[in-house]
Amino acid sequence: MDVRQYADLFLTESREHLTAFNQLLLEWERDPAATGAVGGIFRAVHTIKGMAATMGYAAVADLAHRVESLLDSVRRSERAANAAMLDLLFRAADALERAIAESVAGGDPAPGVAALLAELDREVAAGPAAPARESRPSAPVILPQTGPGKGRTVRVTIRAEAQLKGARALLVLRRAEGLGPVSAVTPAPVAFENDAFDGRFSFRLDSAAEAAALTAALVAVGDVERVEVADQAAEAAAGEAQRSRHIRVDLRRLDELMNLIGELVIARGRLHTVAARFAEPDLHDVNGQIARLAAALQNEMVAARMVPVWQVFDRFPRMVRDLARQMGKQVAFRVEGKEIELDRAILDEIAEPLVHLLRNSVDHGIESPEERVAKGKPAVGQLVLAALRERSSVAIKVGDDGRGISREKVLSRARQQGLVEADVAALADDELFHLISRAGFSTAEAVTDVSGRGVGIDVVTTAMRALGGSLEVRSEEGAGTTFTLRLPATLAILRALLARVGDELYAMPLTHVAETFDAGPADVQRVQGREAVLLRGQLLPLVRLRDLLGAAAPAVPRRGQPVIVLELGERRTGVVVDALVGQQEIVVKSFEAPRGTLPVFSGATILGDGVPALILDAGGLV
Amino acid sequence: MGHRVLVCDDAIFMRTMISDILAEAGYEVVGEAETGLQAIERYKELHPDLVTMDIVMPDMGGIEAVREIVKRDPDAKILMCSAMGQQALVVEAIQAGAKDFVVKPFQPSRVLEAVQRVLG
Repeated sequence: MDVRQYADLFLTESREHLTAFNQLLLEWERDPAATGAVGGIFRAVHTIKGMAATMGYAAVADLAHRVESLLDSVRRSERAANAAMLDLLFRAADALERAIAESVAGGDPAPGVAALLAELDREVAAGPAAPARESRPSAPVILPQTGPGKGRTVRVTIRAEAQLKGARALLVLRRAEGLGPVSAVTPAPVAFENDAFDGRFSFRLDSAAEAAALTAALVAVGDVERVEVADQAAEAAAGEAQRSRHIRVDLRRLDELMNLIGELVIARGRLHTVAARFAEPDLHDVNGQIARLAAALQNEMVAARMVPVWQVFDRFPRMVRDLARQMGKQVAFRVEGKEIELDRAILDEIAEPLVHLLRNSVDHGIESPEERVAKGKPAVGQLVLAALRERSSVAIKVGDDGRGISREKVLSRARQQGLVEADVAALADDELFHLISRAGFSTAEAVTDVSGRGVGIDVVTTAMRALGGSLEVRSEEGAGTTFTLRLPATLAILRALLARVGDELYAMPLTHVAETFDAGPADVQRVQGREAVLLRGQLLPLVRLRDLLGAAAPAVPRRGQPVIVLELGERRTGVVVDALVGQQEIVVKSFEAPRGTLPVFSGATILGDGVPALILDAGGLV
Repeated sequence: MGHRVLVCDDAIFMRTMISDILAEAGYEVVGEAETGLQAIERYKELHPDLVTMDIVMPDMGGIEAVREIVKRDPDAKILMCSAMGQQALVVEAIQAGAKDFVVKPFQPSRVLEAVQRVLG
């Protein structure tokens, strides 16, 4: 919805309230003891605040809010007006009038307001300390019973971005009371009135209904992130120990533990290799047992490291809003798939790249409201940040419906920099992407505060590579741009396909492996100077790992050679190897690539038999 | 669909905006009130399916109005419209019998979600 259609109404009505403000001030000045006027002024300013906030006029809302605070303090303490305070309020009324006019005209609120704001704050501080909220006659609905009541413990988390979490929590409690007797509310409902309440609370609910039904009923209250209904039997057994369910652990501890498990996985692999040499049933038994235990341990460890993406995503709505304001854009920002989980280490690494992409979208992607309307688009631009689970990876998309990347500009900039031949007339998506992801490449016309310093997509690409992930872009001029980050769900241990070239083994993370097949010499054709095969009616370009690595010339294959089909989004490439060795879990070791190393390796690993292998990076091959 | 709504707010701006949001979603705004007293009168007259209620209004505030309306009709469905930072007042309104709340500045989607929750 475009709020600007209400601007006239806002202006008219604000003026009425300002008039009332001034009249009541005069009345108050004539009779400083007439506190009745204060209530009227308070309402007028409060109404202006609400309307201005709705219109997005932050400066007006802020000013009104401070005046409101002052009036509130006066109202509470019933202190009489003095000349200085009245003068201050008159000036505040004038400043409000100016700020309203400026905001509606689309300009900046008048300078010099800062001094006035400070004065208002000082005046509020001069009053008596804000008293505790006046006690209300209405009896609290929830009995502040703290004993261990009957029923199951229900833990509720209100969504982090929800407003007035305490009021929402109270609605949840009321709904719960409709389901059965409620007791032992923690924290006590009094805490719900405090703005510092973080939205987490628990209570005991005596209801025979299924946990799923209870959860559904409570989630329906709205803005509920999570409901956990404790298992009655387990709870009874756990008793008091319940309280210490979560402990804080230093992330470095988890990293160290993960390393040790990694070593264990390697040792297990060696044991497996050794055991295979002996026909000793006991050895095979214990080998199998250790394999199962190691796998279980590893799964637990991976699960312990997983965190939902909202832990990072939740700070973006505010950032996007502030950026949009700063840039004079109107942006509707949506976040999807917040509950998808990623390894903590990966999540930490992608925060920065996501900031880059979101900034790019707000700054360069989404047009100004005027430009959008002129193009026949809605004035408000759409920006989506979505996490999705794919086969063995997690995809994170940042998409906008803005102007898209101008191929013409990219092309002309690339020509200037000598990156493409002068006669290249059009860019495919892939080529476009390769150009914009080069270090220092930017088509931004002006360097802005936000982005466009020529550091951008290349930073993101590098970060993705380091994580064993990939980045791709789809952009349609005039219709928008979508960046997709593909990441392994966890970093430390991954399943890989092992392939042999000559005497060396190489590991290919299964994240990007679509399938494998054998290609005979007759299947291979040359298309535009490149080798390719026809796979189910589609041309699949081939890369020979042997050529790429500069290994000795291959023996002429007499029969089919294995091809690994790598998939990165919609792009596919077949990698020809000498032989496939099998699938194995590998532990990624950090890898300092020596200078001159081909950009196709993302790390190294040690296999079960102690043999090292390089990990191939799909992003560098496709 | 076609639920009948009474919109209470002392600002025409707010009433217009809420009415527009509701009308666009297919609700019928059958009346408006500018004060708590008017809200009570109009509620008796119209028996709406839903009331949107501002908290700060002249003559009688929204919370007292909620209390009066709920006294007469315990099933009244009232949605509070609050400004930011009015947590204690919203809590009080809920204790007085309001069914849900939305916070200004309004996002149409959130208003409609709350309306559906209250009517559902």
